[in-house]
Amino acid sequence: MSNKSTFGQIASGVSRRAFMVGGTAAVASAAVLRGARAQAATKVQFMYPVGVSGDINKIVSGMVAKFNAAHPTIEVEAIYAGNYDNTEQKVITSLGVGDPPSTWLPINSALQTFLGLDSLADVTQKAKAGDIYQDFLPQFLDTCVSDGKLYGLPFQPSTPVLYLNRTAMKEAGIAKAPQTWTELLEVAKTLTIRENGELKRWGLTIGGGWHDWIFECYCRQNELVPWTKDKVLFDNPAALDALEFWVKMEKAGVMPKASTWEGSANDFMAGRTAMLYHSTGSLTNLRKSSKFEVDVAFMPKNKVFGAAQGGGPIMIAKKQTDAQLEAAWTLTQWMTSTEVQSQWCRDTGYLAVRKSAWETPEMLAYLKEVPQAKVALEQSAYAGAFLQVPGYHKVREYLKSALDRTLAGEIKPDAALKEANDASNREIQRLLRRRG
Amino acid sequence: MTTLHGQTDAKTLPFTQEARQPFRLAALKRGWLHVVMVPLALLWLSPLVWILVTSLKTRTEVFDPAAGFLPQVLQWANYPGALSVAPFGIYLVNSVLVTGGILIAQLVTITLAAYAFARQTFPGKNLLFTLFLLQIMFPIYATFLTNFVTVRELGLLNSLPAMIVPFVASGYGTFMLRQSFRQVPTELADAARLDGCGHLGILWHVYLPLVKPTLIAFGIITVVTHWNDYMWPLLVNNSENVRTLPIGLGLLAKSDSGADWTRLMAATVVVVSPLLLLFVIFQRRFVDSFMHAGLK
Repeated sequence: MSNKSTFGQIASGVSRRAFMVGGTAAVASAAVLRGARAQAATKVQFMYPVGVSGDINKIVSGMVAKFNAAHPTIEVEAIYAGNYDNTEQKVITSLGVGDPPSTWLPINSALQTFLGLDSLADVTQKAKAGDIYQDFLPQFLDTCVSDGKLYGLPFQPSTPVLYLNRTAMKEAGIAKAPQTWTELLEVAKTLTIRENGELKRWGLTIGGGWHDWIFECYCRQNELVPWTKDKVLFDNPAALDALEFWVKMEKAGVMPKASTWEGSANDFMAGRTAMLYHSTGSLTNLRKSSKFEVDVAFMPKNKVFGAAQGGGPIMIAKKQTDAQLEAAWTLTQWMTSTEVQSQWCRDTGYLAVRKSAWETPEMLAYLKEVPQAKVALEQSAYAGAFLQVPGYHKVREYLKSALDRTLAGEIKPDAALKEANDASNREIQRLLRRRG
Repeated sequence: MTTLHGQTDAKTLPFTQEARQPFRLAALKRGWLHVVMVPLALLWLSPLVWILVTSLKTRTEVFDPAAGFLPQVLQWANYPGALSVAPFGIYLVNSVLVTGGILIAQLVTITLAAYAFARQTFPGKNLLFTLFLLQIMFPIYATFLTNFVTVRELGLLNSLPAMIVPFVASGYGTFMLRQSFRQVPTELADAARLDGCGHLGILWHVYLPLVKPTLIAFGIITVVTHWNDYMWPLLVNNSENVRTLPIGLGLLAKSDSGADWTRLMAATVVVVSPLLLLFVIFQRRFVDSFMHAGLK
């Protein structure tokens, strides 16, 4: 386009012949330019999972199409890769054959796993050049940091929150959401309904399958981050206190011994549990599928408020050409830019990662309409990364098994946590030795 | 009750007694199987009915105990809603091509391999057969990476053949067919040889017609397995135009927020109906084949 307009100016002041010659030359040079451009169009792959309601795949391909249109020198291919576990498996498989995608979107817990494979590009210097350290919400940015270095940018964080069946609470004469563990137990007792000894409604359900994630929130509410990058601290008294509180709630008969992630959401929608710990990512689904008024509250505190973050960052592969790396960085920055994040948050229910994204007019209008979305943002001020240890898959299984067996009454809380702690640390040590 | 009833009947109508009682007994003899089978059939049908009914509900109706079993208004919009998530038309064609390709390739390879193992003698036959059996014992996930490397070196990543190539041979099918071949009397093959048949001729004219039930039984197993396969197609393929139906379903089964039940069930109806239709059309053959396969 700029070529043409320059031409117009030249043409006005020169002879017809000169114009013709010039024109031919320009057409030729434009063709050369286009050729060079097509050659230089850097191909970048972006592998992403689909975890929440809303047609994520359509939204993501729409975003990527928009990006491609705005960046003629970069060609991004968006690849749907299943859920978080599938995506991780797909990326690790391609890393195994030395041909990783440029960028991918794993769960934030996978940070040490990918670092262990020496697969992540360090973007600290690049990030310092822009406004990233100023405008990103620090608790989200922290999930991409290991040893002070930044590996990728947060893209779709979530946390667990407490969902409330407002209609049921009104019927029971409860005006406000429980603020502390003690209040939680009291409210749960009031909301539990038994007729002739037969249970009609639980007061509270902790979404199973990810209850280790919610357990970490309980630990954080006791001022304990139950892991460091090379070990877990499940045998800490603060963790024991949290598990003993779960046992207390179970013994009080206000919550089931076990549940599943999808089943617990279904139970909430069907009114079979009045309160539910579940991901912020479920907000849209729970709101749209329930016949009663759904409200969202902070997870009650004990010593402090606390939450562990789910969701994931966009990570960038180390092993790729400089041009690809640059293109991948451009893509990652664009995906986490103010406007894109504001739209993504409203479309999906994930939390926007930039302060400025929360202040766009569209976002302010949305928050007026769905004030529940704001709760998760405010709570995220107390949130940190979730279980970023090597081999987190196995560690999660050990912890979940300990929690399940304790609630089922098969084992004492302290013994269960000690066992999970030892098994997890053995596994982490094994992986670290292999890495070193 | 029946006997009592039968007796009064016999007293009041003595002249029909002889004619009636055998008839009733026969009816009971023929019918008792139905008494057992009808509830079982209903039990088997219930998930399918649930899928169909759920696919026509609104989202709030699915888990509302007060809403009743049937939808208030049939929500046909769930179907276009589900199908708009991904290009299901392309996925359907791909699924048919991949499943069909695997089936045809497998039928050829297992027939030849099973014939060799059943009726030929060659050095290392037993060892080789043991290796074939070993393939059955390895879970498919254990061979993902090596298969991935192979497919990549063949330059097939992100294409339809990538989903077919690793499955063209089947240890299980070879084993199944070898057992069937061994039950065919050798005299028949000898007779065919006297008539001038070669190996392929004997295979085609003698063995294959006799083991048709086994072939059909194996065909059903392999079609269902590969029609529903999710992880391998997800792993080797990236582009929309080479993906299969189960991946489209995966888009609706959200792991973080609970499934989008109504649309998921609508898409499930679409995905399972070709198989159901196929089964209904060929039902008689299938059932016959299983009966025979079972008897042998």
